[in-house]
Amino acid sequence: MPESNSTRSLRLGIAGPVGTGKSSLIATICRALSDELRLGVITNDIYTDEDARFLRSAGVLDPERIRAVETGACPHTAIRDDITVNLLAVEDLERDFALLDVVLIESGGDNLTATFSPALVDAQIFVLDVAGGGDVARKGGPGIARADLLVVNKTDLAPYVGVDVPTMVADARAARDGGEVLALSRTDAASVAELRAWVLRLLAAHRSGFHVPQDPGPMAPHFHADDDGGALHAHADGDHEHSHPGADRTHAH
Amino acid sequence: MPTIVTRIPASATLVMMLADARLPVGGHVHSAGLEPALAAGMPANRVFDYLLGRAHSVSLVEAGTAVVARHVALPATADSVAAGLAAVESAWAARTPSRALREVSRSLGRGYLRLGTRLWPGHPGIDACSAAPSPLSRPVVLGAIAAAANLDAESLVRLVIYDDAQTVAAALLKLAPIDPAIPAGWVLRACGEVDHLVAAIAALTSPDAIPASGAPQTEEWAESHSLTTQRLFRA
Repeated sequence: MPESNSTRSLRLGIAGPVGTGKSSLIATICRALSDELRLGVITNDIYTDEDARFLRSAGVLDPERIRAVETGACPHTAIRDDITVNLLAVEDLERDFALLDVVLIESGGDNLTATFSPALVDAQIFVLDVAGGGDVARKGGPGIARADLLVVNKTDLAPYVGVDVPTMVADARAARDGGEVLALSRTDAASVAELRAWVLRLLAAHRSGFHVPQDPGPMAPHFHADDDGGALHAHADGDHEHSHPGADRTHAH
Repeated sequence: MPTIVTRIPASATLVMMLADARLPVGGHVHSAGLEPALAAGMPANRVFDYLLGRAHSVSLVEAGTAVVARHVALPATADSVAAGLAAVESAWAARTPSRALREVSRSLGRGYLRLGTRLWPGHPGIDACSAAPSPLSRPVVLGAIAAAANLDAESLVRLVIYDDAQTVAAALLKLAPIDPAIPAGWVLRACGEVDHLVAAIAALTSPDAIPASGAPQTEEWAESHSLTTQRLFRA
């Protein structure tokens, strides 16, 4: 759970399979926002500090504000089951560079089931790319279906890999029950502007207390029958209340 | 919020939880020096010898440190606990010449302390760890947790020896996998080899008496590992 302290930033997780452009997405966010927000980055590499070095060399942020943690060959564990090393790294960064507005935490590239614990991040972006195949969005999974934002990345490559971007985005919206999907290319200024606006909206919602961290969950959505005919929903860990997207009801698990 | 532990469970339950790889302290990013050793060229078929070597050397330093920290954190006022733990930390540091290993242990100690402050807030030993001017090592924090949780000294010694061996065994299955039943047997044999030392270490109360049986080769490997950019485990 979030600690109540004065240096607490908005903690934004970036998850998604290997090679979909998570580091590049972080570089894009830094480029778009580092003039107006105080940013920090934590990377979770699998076997090297490649991602941290890429981001430092990209020159988008003071290299001191980009830190790497090891994950013991378990990138999934480090962002979900035992988040200790990441929490310590985030808290150190928030302390050393107080006050930070946003800390971006990049997961090690993992499979479609890897999502962040809401005890580590306040919100998360799940990243797919067109080069990974136009059908991936249809495969669903907790990150695709229920991350705060799904990014379909590298849209500039679509003509070369035979993917129709509008179809892939439509598939993604269907998998997300209408949730937000952003078709992104770092070479497409309009899409970068949309990404920037999304982060700023999230930050405003976080600061106003309106945004509540949600667990995308490890489980597939399932049907609960009730008097109104039932609702399709996903269980998250722990006892809490949440509202269902697309449904005007709230209940406790 | 986590439930604060007020009714203390038996030592056997505590030691099971503290020895469990599922304990949320960030232990999964450590290999107890195995990755540095293999990277430096130690053959994977020498891992049982490596386990025995650690059980007779660094594990005894760690266990002795934890036991004395537990003793210091047991009674008394917060002030004397703080001074006592600082003395134990100094004694441990003197027996751990590698800066890289000290940093790694203190980072792991912070993971333990995060758990300790949630489960046993207000205990003088835990509070003294939290108030320390810089992070304390893993065995010192573990000793404070043992004091707070009412874990007996012999169980604490066995926990430290077992945890080190099991950390190596689990990392081996990631780094150079073999039939997983084999390292499980090695862990028990390595623990058995030093079991006759447990009572004497559990009886220690003074920082000066902590064993000084270091493993210089391990220290050197840890130093090299801290500089590499290709690693799965922190250490």
